[in-house]
Amino acid sequence: MSDELRPILECLIFLSQEPLTLEKIASVLEGVPEEDIRRTLESLMESWAAPDRGLHLLHTGGGWLFATRPEFDAWVRKFLQIERKTKLTSASLETLSIVAYHQPITQSEISAIRGVDSTGSLKTLLEKKLIKIIGHKKAPGNPLIYRTSDRFLQYFGLNGLDDLPKEEEIAKLLEEDKTGEA
Amino acid sequence: MTDPTIDAPLPEPSAADGYQVRLEIFEGPLDLLLFLIRKKKIDIHDIPIAAITRDYLDYLDRKEQINLDREAEFLFIAALLIYIKSQMLLPRETDLAEGEDPRRFLVDRLIEYQKVKAACSLLRDKEEDELLKWKRGFLPPLPGAGDLEFLEVSLFDLAATFSRILKRKEAEGARTIKGKDISLEGKIKDLLAVLAAEESIDFLEYFERQETVEDAVVSFFGLLELIQSHRVRAVQDDLFKTIRVWLRRERGKGHGHE
Repeated sequence: MSDELRPILECLIFLSQEPLTLEKIASVLEGVPEEDIRRTLESLMESWAAPDRGLHLLHTGGGWLFATRPEFDAWVRKFLQIERKTKLTSASLETLSIVAYHQPITQSEISAIRGVDSTGSLKTLLEKKLIKIIGHKKAPGNPLIYRTSDRFLQYFGLNGLDDLPKEEEIAKLLEEDKTGEA
Repeated sequence: MTDPTIDAPLPEPSAADGYQVRLEIFEGPLDLLLFLIRKKKIDIHDIPIAAITRDYLDYLDRKEQINLDREAEFLFIAALLIYIKSQMLLPRETDLAEGEDPRRFLVDRLIEYQKVKAACSLLRDKEEDELLKWKRGFLPPLPGAGDLEFLEVSLFDLAATFSRILKRKEAEGARTIKGKDISLEGKIKDLLAVLAAEESIDFLEYFERQETVEDAVVSFFGLLELIQSHRVRAVQDDLFKTIRVWLRRERGKGHGHE
């Protein structure tokens, strides 16, 4: 089955603009066990990992997606005539990481952690669709509640919030900073 | 074959520039405070409040321009520092227990903020790695994938586009015609009829065609209603570009149900 499955999966992923999820694939290939699909995806990823390829098959944002390999970034940008991709500003990244670690969270809770009003950053992040509003908090003023979106995961190459840098990694980094300075 | 320009990383503002750095380099008062603490190699759990307050106020004095919004945030922490110092100077009959250190509140905030900064730098690395991988989604989206997420947030885009039209309509001097009831159901029927005939419509164009502001407003609600009930699909290539609206085929049937 796996041999028949491979080219089909390749087609579906090739056409996808967003990470193609296992559920979506399973719903197209009715009756094929998810375990078979998963195994085939893994072997597909392996074969695309060959060094003579320009593309990679990525497992990101909770699904599978083709992407160009990082080594060829300069060529892609030359082709698209893009100087460089814009990174998030420090303010946006700070706000986003607070949403990521503390979600669901409101604007005033974010601002309290940052010590800075974060309304503008939240607006930018909403426009970039990296966060979403999931409702109102039952508190005075009914503030909006924010969460990260699926696009957020894909943006950082994560498959779930579990993939966020762990507390230990953060502690390790802080420790290194300290010793680096001493 | 010449390799196109090798990427040189953007110069990141460095905290090591010392006191000459400008306010904008710091994300906020906590950032500045952390910078001062690290510069003096102070233990964050045992901050000499008087010394750090002096440095902090010194720094505020030196900065070039004043932005009132940011100023308030910086002054709040200055006031907090002075308050903490005053609490520490107060004579007490008994020694404070450990949890009662007046600095506790500030220290907790600083530690939390420090973690955020560290998480940011880890996420920044990931971002940089990911930005080198180009995906097809970078090109304008085809109808088909990830629409739930797209529609969810594009309410803002719709609203932004819509308010532009309203402004234009107002400029045309549209007047209110009283006594004419416009029903949402009617507008939805209109929209669906136009969609059935034309297959897809240009959102801007469609609303331009509306006679009055009320017509446009109710049509807009109608459109939102249709999007919410998954009867149409709205796609916008780019912010402030027009939005195209399609009828969804075979709603609820098939397997594309998210």
